[in-house]
Amino acid sequence: MNRELIDNAVRGRTATVLRQAFWYALLAGISSVLLLALSGWFLTAAAIAGAGGVAAVAAFNYLIPSAAIRGLAIVRTGSRYGERLLSHRAALTAMADWRGALFGKLAAQDSRTAPDLSGGDASARLIGDIEALEDLIVRRPTRPASLAAALFAVGLTILSGWMAALALALLLAALPFLLKHAATRWTREPAAEAADALGELRAAFVDAAAARPEIISYGIADRVAQRLEDLAARVDRANAALFRGEGHVAGLLIGYGTVAAAAVLLFAQSPAALIALGLLAATSSVEAMAAFARTAMRQASVEQGLARLALLTGLEGEPVRAEAKREAALPLAIGATRIVPGERIAITGASGSGKTRLIEALAGLRAPVHTLRLNDTPLAECSQTVLTGQFALSPQDAALLAGSIADNLRLARPGISEDQMRAALHIACLDTRVAAMPDGLDTLLGESGGILSGGERKRLSLARALLADRPWLLLDEPTEGLDAATEALLVTRLGEWLDATGTGVILVSHRQAPLALAARHIPIDGID
Amino acid sequence: MRKKNTAGFAWLIDLAGAALFAAGIAIAVTGAATSGLIEAEAVALILVGGLVRAVAVGLVHRLAITGAQRIAAARRLPVIRRLIGEPMAEPPSLGASAVLAIDHPQAIENYQARFMPSRFAASAAPLFVIAVTAFASLVAAGILLATFIPFILGMILAGTAARRASEEQLGAMGQLSGLFVDRVRGLGIIRHFRAEERVTRQVRGAANDLADRTVSVLRIAFLSSAVLEFFSALAVALVAVYCGFSLLGLLPFPNPEVLTLREAFFALAMAPEFYLPMRRLAAAYHEKQLGEAASDALDQLPEPLVRAPAEAAFTGIAANGARIDWPGRSIGPVSFALGRTGMIALTGPTGSGKTSLLAAIAGQVALTDGTITPVAPDNIAWAAQRPLILPGSLADNLALGRINATQDEIAEAIERVGLSPMLAARGAGLDLILDHRGSGLSGGERRRLGLARAILAGRSLTLADEPTADLDADSARDITALLIALARDHAVVVATHDPIVIEAAGEEVAL
Repeated sequence: MNRELIDNAVRGRTATVLRQAFWYALLAGISSVLLLALSGWFLTAAAIAGAGGVAAVAAFNYLIPSAAIRGLAIVRTGSRYGERLLSHRAALTAMADWRGALFGKLAAQDSRTAPDLSGGDASARLIGDIEALEDLIVRRPTRPASLAAALFAVGLTILSGWMAALALALLLAALPFLLKHAATRWTREPAAEAADALGELRAAFVDAAAARPEIISYGIADRVAQRLEDLAARVDRANAALFRGEGHVAGLLIGYGTVAAAAVLLFAQSPAALIALGLLAATSSVEAMAAFARTAMRQASVEQGLARLALLTGLEGEPVRAEAKREAALPLAIGATRIVPGERIAITGASGSGKTRLIEALAGLRAPVHTLRLNDTPLAECSQTVLTGQFALSPQDAALLAGSIADNLRLARPGISEDQMRAALHIACLDTRVAAMPDGLDTLLGESGGILSGGERKRLSLARALLADRPWLLLDEPTEGLDAATEALLVTRLGEWLDATGTGVILVSHRQAPLALAARHIPIDGID
Repeated sequence: MRKKNTAGFAWLIDLAGAALFAAGIAIAVTGAATSGLIEAEAVALILVGGLVRAVAVGLVHRLAITGAQRIAAARRLPVIRRLIGEPMAEPPSLGASAVLAIDHPQAIENYQARFMPSRFAASAAPLFVIAVTAFASLVAAGILLATFIPFILGMILAGTAARRASEEQLGAMGQLSGLFVDRVRGLGIIRHFRAEERVTRQVRGAANDLADRTVSVLRIAFLSSAVLEFFSALAVALVAVYCGFSLLGLLPFPNPEVLTLREAFFALAMAPEFYLPMRRLAAAYHEKQLGEAASDALDQLPEPLVRAPAEAAFTGIAANGARIDWPGRSIGPVSFALGRTGMIALTGPTGSGKTSLLAAIAGQVALTDGTITPVAPDNIAWAAQRPLILPGSLADNLALGRINATQDEIAEAIERVGLSPMLAARGAGLDLILDHRGSGLSGGERRRLGLARAILAGRSLTLADEPTADLDADSARDITALLIALARDHAVVVATHDPIVIEAAGEEVAL
């Protein structure tokens, strides 16, 4: 499944670049092996010729090997550079395509059944998983190229004797399996433990940091810090084990190189110069296999990430361009209460009784738990498209995107003019505040709302819902965080807008002022 | 030598292993060339060299991570303690706090473990290689040294450009990840407004833009590794060519030394080791950038606030033109006075700074202007909007307010805040076990737990942060009644925008 994921990521234009990167990697690997091997041969042959007297020296062709050695130094440099650049280019374009495709697939899902990635941990992990995939693509040309370079080294070793070549071939063939086994044994468990411990530490720390004033007031900082330090010590232990495991694998690889050299020496049957050639070829061939060690060590952490990604990329569907026209209003039923288009309803009930849940079900964000019908069809049977055509939500938590104020307003529907934005902001009592900002509508909000206060964020989200131009407005605590005067003004303006547009409202609020907008109150306890 | 370099020293053991290996193959090849026999001692030398190298690499890792974690943990503990439990002039946001306390120490650990040992090795090892090579061939050692000078120049030229380029690229990658994460988190609302296709196009466009820009950046960024690669290959090539011509007796200049094959081969086998430490160093360069940035960020962590001395006994509190100015926002000024008993309400919309002002009253953040009567910390109880829950029993959690509270006192506090029905419904008592997520307590129940803790603490001044936010009218009335009762024999300052609570308070201070 994971292989498929990577194959899918490197289709099309990327595949061509990766093939070029492979040729560069191959050239780099071969020139690396050849540089050392040829140097060893040249030295030994030169020494033998030098010892053989003037005639032997005169017969020795030194020009070609010495020029080749210098040439190989340049070829190795150039091809390594080409390999790195092209493999990174391939990874970058692949990931650009792939991020877009993944996002499209996610976006095309029904919110009620889609995997939930809204939490900080889930989305941060997603980024980590994607970076791991990118890393795999960068190293993709290296593995076949190092195999080919190793094979080339075996070929050179034949000159030292076929037994030596056979020994080297066997050793090299066993190496990837050995590395994989070693990496599994030394790094798999610590990697999983480290990830788990880190998640626990992060959650505990965020809770503690949020409770700062309380911790200071009751003087319990030492106790809480001690608990966090214990959790951190668990992360440290796992990380240390992982790092030592990497050391073992690296040590194994370096030791293996000398074993290969010794094996070639023991089985070599040729003249000294050719033995030197095979000896150095063998040493550098094991070095060329280092890519397998890196892959094997990251295998443990990368595998889990790829499995998570594969679940997401397995989703079906593509986002389609939305139609901009306003759809005809459909009647609603909440429990036994029938509601005609244009009506204004408040849902009342104690906190935690599920009012927000009901609003989010109508908005198509979550599966309904209450008996809700749209145009006499149970809500669960209504498609997301039908629901999003009917309702515009101003949610409890504002749900703004990073970007400018205008970006957030434009989300509501395509083709919104600046005048329309200002009109909506006016109703939400945010127009003067935005006008006073140096960049006006283009002011950047930054992470989760940035410069806006909680109440202002809420009002921006209200303006956005107004701009969506849907038959029904869903308002969850629309005036939370407002002072009484602004609240009264907002309720008046909103009432006028509702009158003018004939838009219906389903409203949840603990506060009196917005409840006045509703003609009828439905207690949530009465809905089965 | 300081302890952190012990791992760097272990790299030198690795080099000693490399020298044994080089000597082994030099002897073996010489044996083959002169007598056609490969000596067993040579093979043994090769294998011992390999063993030394393998052990040294394992040792480097073991020493490096131990030292790195010691350094990182020493940085981490004070940061954690300050961020969760010490007054600061302007405490960082939650997200920034987590980065400071968890991610930055981790980056420092990586930097210390992966970069620092290599840095020591990269400065000491080339000298070692030159010294060892000089025993075999002075000229070969001289060649290594000679390649080093243009190498340094090349690194300065390419390295500066590469560093700038890779920093730019890091920043751009971060931005793209940020956009991607933000849009993934916002998928619900994006689908709700039927903006899937538009936002997908935006994400795709940004990703493609970045890919194109990054490739042109990488062309420069990879130059420094090309310089390293080139000189590393050149060192091998030059040593090979010199030794070969010297053995042939064909050098175009008078040879200062008489080389044997063994010496020549040894010099050749050592040549790749000369640049190897620098290649390791380059591989850890990214860790260095991140680690140094993290270290700088921790250095700039604000110092804890020094509390003004306060009377031991609480006699009331007064604010006079108290104002907090932070970049981009200004809170206050406010003035009020409160005696030993009674309640005042700090009011204002969400984000107007009510919580920060409460923290200033508690002496936990600094005022820019004006004064507030200092109150001794052990006279203050804090009823939080989202109170801390540590894994343990409900009774233990309440007793965080007062360590020596009896079971009866705890039970009474629970009764007063109206948590008893919840316990009864769960069939649980004071020993109800809570995990750090609160074991399914609702937001309102958790709030009451914080209030119970404050009551149990029995402090003279109670600061309550939004005690009724997100509660229904009935629950809000219960809590308000409790605050009124508390204010009969205590001083209470409540941050709220709830009209019921504001009405219950004797005085309203608007922000």
